[in-house]
Amino acid sequence: MLTERELQRYDRQMMIYGFGDEGQEKLKKAKVFIAGAGGLGSPIAIYLAVAGIGTIRIVDHDTVELSNLNRQVLHQDENIGGEKAASAVAKLQKLNPDVRIEAISETITDDNASQLVADSDLIVDAMDNLPTRYLLNRTAIQKGIPFFHGAVYGFEGRAMTVIPGKSACLNCVYHGAAVPREKFPVIGVTPAVIGCIQATEVIKYITGLGELLTNRLLNYDALSMKFTEFKVNRDPTCEHCGNLQSG
Amino acid sequence: MSVEIALSSIFARYSDNQLNIKVEGNTVGECFKDLFRQHPNLEKMLMTREGKLQRAYDIYINGESTYPREMTKPVKDGDKLNIVFIIYGG
Repeated sequence: MLTERELQRYDRQMMIYGFGDEGQEKLKKAKVFIAGAGGLGSPIAIYLAVAGIGTIRIVDHDTVELSNLNRQVLHQDENIGGEKAASAVAKLQKLNPDVRIEAISETITDDNASQLVADSDLIVDAMDNLPTRYLLNRTAIQKGIPFFHGAVYGFEGRAMTVIPGKSACLNCVYHGAAVPREKFPVIGVTPAVIGCIQATEVIKYITGLGELLTNRLLNYDALSMKFTEFKVNRDPTCEHCGNLQSG
Repeated sequence: MSVEIALSSIFARYSDNQLNIKVEGNTVGECFKDLFRQHPNLEKMLMTREGKLQRAYDIYINGESTYPREMTKPVKDGDKLNIVFIIYGG
């Protein structure tokens, strides 16, 4: 049941055709897991918090550095040296005190991934490395919950939504390929765009509105200001999801 | 066959700032050969010493993946090839 305050707060989005009180109730009941409170995690968490997602669990083991501040808008100068989880929870709770924010300062590993995700309804991938992205993809598939992928490099970005057993997963796209982890170039506007696409997909999934970005890898090239879609299919030999029957 | 290869902006420095390049060939491999003839610096970026596509890249023809036999995949006149690199930054 929405409170009078929530009815006012979310009035403009509840006006969207098909959204209404029902859509807002669904957002309020949802538990979203965000892996990473960096360049992507910042806009994802901010826009999901202000949209009224009931519980946001955000995990990041890092501390804030000056060089993060061109893009990681959850954090500011006064947070330098502190845990990203702490500045994330402070900023998000200030933006919307009506939602529950659980911020955890831990590294996501094989051993704790499932426990960290716990009973979340979905996983949003805002990581900065491929191995953890694969780990989260596999965790989402094992738990049978949707996975919302996003990644950035320079002025370029990608996004894709994975519904386990129904659409191609991250491993179906990249086939377990590994690339060396290096410091990557990026400007804040790129994760802002991609993170907002991921947050939009989350809201669409929870409210049941629109068509999801499944079996399509969306590529954004800001320098040419072009969005390109690549068709992707489930790989029956995929080590992550190949054993799942099509739903 | 005349085919267009669309490159990401990150390759601009290796292709004289050209991102849409016309090439000739009957397979992806032949198209790449023509691409490297026009822009030799791209070869080191994309291929291994053994002449295979580096694992960090995927090729799509008209938006569809060519995995797993990228280089032998036939192309037809007017096809568009995208070279997509794996990105992981957040």
